[in-house]
Amino acid sequence: MKVQKLFQKTLFGVFSLFGLIGLSTSVLNVYTVDTHLSDEYVSNSRDIAKTIADSSVDIMLNRDLAALQSLIDQFVEIQGIKYIYIRNEDGEFLAHTFVPGIPTEILESDPSSTDTVERSLPGMGDFVEVGSPILAGVAGAVHVGMDTGLIALKIQRAIGRQIYLIAIVFVAGVLGAIWFVNLAAKPMGDLLAYATAMARDESAEDEKDVLGRDDEVGQLARLMVYFARGDKAAGIIDGRS
Amino acid sequence: MVGRRSLIGFGIAGGLTAPWLRTAAEEAGAGVTDDEIVLGTSAAFSGPSRGLGIELYRGAMAYFESVNEQGGVLGRRIVLKLYDDGYQPDPCVNNTMTLMLNDRVFLLFGYVGTPTVTRVLPMLKKFQDQGMYLFFPFTGAQPQREPPYGDFAFNLRASYRQETAGLVDNFVATGRRRIAVFYQADAYGRSGWAGVRAALLKHGESIAGEATYRRGEKFTGTMRRQVDILKGARPDAVICIGAYAACAAFARDAVDLGLPVPIANLSFVGSENLLKLLSDGQGDSRRYTDALVNSQVVPSYEDVSIPAVKEYRALMQRYNPEPPAEVVQESYTPFAHSFVSLEGFLNAKLMVEVLRRLGERPTRSGLEDAVFTVRNFDLGVGEQVSFGPERRQGLQRVYYTVVQNGRFVTLHDWQAKFAKQATAEVS
Repeated sequence: MKVQKLFQKTLFGVFSLFGLIGLSTSVLNVYTVDTHLSDEYVSNSRDIAKTIADSSVDIMLNRDLAALQSLIDQFVEIQGIKYIYIRNEDGEFLAHTFVPGIPTEILESDPSSTDTVERSLPGMGDFVEVGSPILAGVAGAVHVGMDTGLIALKIQRAIGRQIYLIAIVFVAGVLGAIWFVNLAAKPMGDLLAYATAMARDESAEDEKDVLGRDDEVGQLARLMVYFARGDKAAGIIDGRS
Repeated sequence: MVGRRSLIGFGIAGGLTAPWLRTAAEEAGAGVTDDEIVLGTSAAFSGPSRGLGIELYRGAMAYFESVNEQGGVLGRRIVLKLYDDGYQPDPCVNNTMTLMLNDRVFLLFGYVGTPTVTRVLPMLKKFQDQGMYLFFPFTGAQPQREPPYGDFAFNLRASYRQETAGLVDNFVATGRRRIAVFYQADAYGRSGWAGVRAALLKHGESIAGEATYRRGEKFTGTMRRQVDILKGARPDAVICIGAYAACAAFARDAVDLGLPVPIANLSFVGSENLLKLLSDGQGDSRRYTDALVNSQVVPSYEDVSIPAVKEYRALMQRYNPEPPAEVVQESYTPFAHSFVSLEGFLNAKLMVEVLRRLGERPTRSGLEDAVFTVRNFDLGVGEQVSFGPERRQGLQRVYYTVVQNGRFVTLHDWQAKFAKQATAEVS
């Protein structure tokens, strides 16, 4: 697809503008999706931890720990949640989902803390751990570990889809711009061909098309005829032929 | 020819007398017909723990078939409606829904496992207006023994608390105070873990170390990481709360990696299957089995001086029941006798007694009262069985067995076998 020299800079400008829009939109989307999804996962984990903490009180005070284990086993089936553990006020682990054992880092962690922390557990991966106190902390705390690898994968997928969409819009925009520019450039090309033919004293095939146009190109063509032939036939200059 | 008026007359008379002509079965309701009482079972008939479901079924059916052959319970045959849950909670819940709502069985009987049963208990409470009860599940966990779900289940066997307390007390008496736990990472494992913890607390001790495995582990898997974790705790003994495939793998790897301490298993493990795995293709299997001590909730099936055992052996030999092929899809070679099938047999024997006490017109609403009439009932194991509003577990006794000449036999002298001073380490 040949583009008139006159419009190449315009096309370059359109490409640059599209590229800038695409890039800035992508960067903004990456940041927004990453932030929002991460926050949402942490928020969900906190809700789950609170739900377990609220449910645990009755079980811890009145029932067997098997019921407590059964409760957390159901929550750990939720996608993204990799581990849950419950410690009592003395720091003892009353129920957990670790296999083959409780990681050293967690064994040595502060039992009273329910702060959100990032953990890298050998052989298990990277996690965001949130905590929720049971009975305001006097009965212990529930801790829920979310797999950051899975969160990252989800974010990558979401971002990937957005970038894919932006890329499609970009390509479609560029192709559209080329098509429109060429559409605008075509009469100029015809005029150029007509002028060249006239200079060579040849008859241009599309002479009538060019001269018959009612736009600036048609006026320019008729002016050229006027200057070349001195033809003052009525309407040639102002298009009234 | 009967006239039109006569027909109307018969119709009115029939309508008036219909309530008096209803059969006993119609009064009895779901799961009971004139010649059948249908019980519903969801158990492990597939997967690494299928031996438990199959053996429990075999023992129960040996007794049920004997009763059916003699005319059933007051003229009604006992039919077991079976579903396989593979020892997984979700299939068990679905099976229970089907048994209760579609099959409309009379009661639930002989379920297998804690993680499965603990998920079913809330359903029984939800449908408590239907009066459905769970009888004699193959689990010693607490949830079906205490509020809020204890009222919907009846247990025959001793609890895991009793089993673990007995093991801990005996180990401590032999000088082994540092006790570690290897357990299944679910409600069953936690139930046993809690039992060990509570028992140790009475002796002023705490769990020396712990390691877990995922439910469904096979014998071909490795437990080396778990053994390494427990070795770091320097235990005097390890109590395993798991199923036979994983516990056999742990016992094998513990010996191979040099953890020469007694390894105890609870009754749920399925002792014969455990022993079979450790014996098959393991060379001198004694090195893997010498350190084993398994608690049981039924007496040894080798002791024919016990009337129930004698009866059990005779009926197992006579009927040798096998579960239907449509339920058991994987190959399994049953044992002629096993602790699990003996427990199934005793479950069935007591179930039949309860159904007899329900009388001619069995109804679910009469079940609880019928069970509570069981007082000092002789099941034939040398221990009287009693039930009441505050007593929903029939048997209390725990037995201890060790491997001798390739089979589990009753352990009589803990000191001689496991005293820490006498045997510096089991080798």
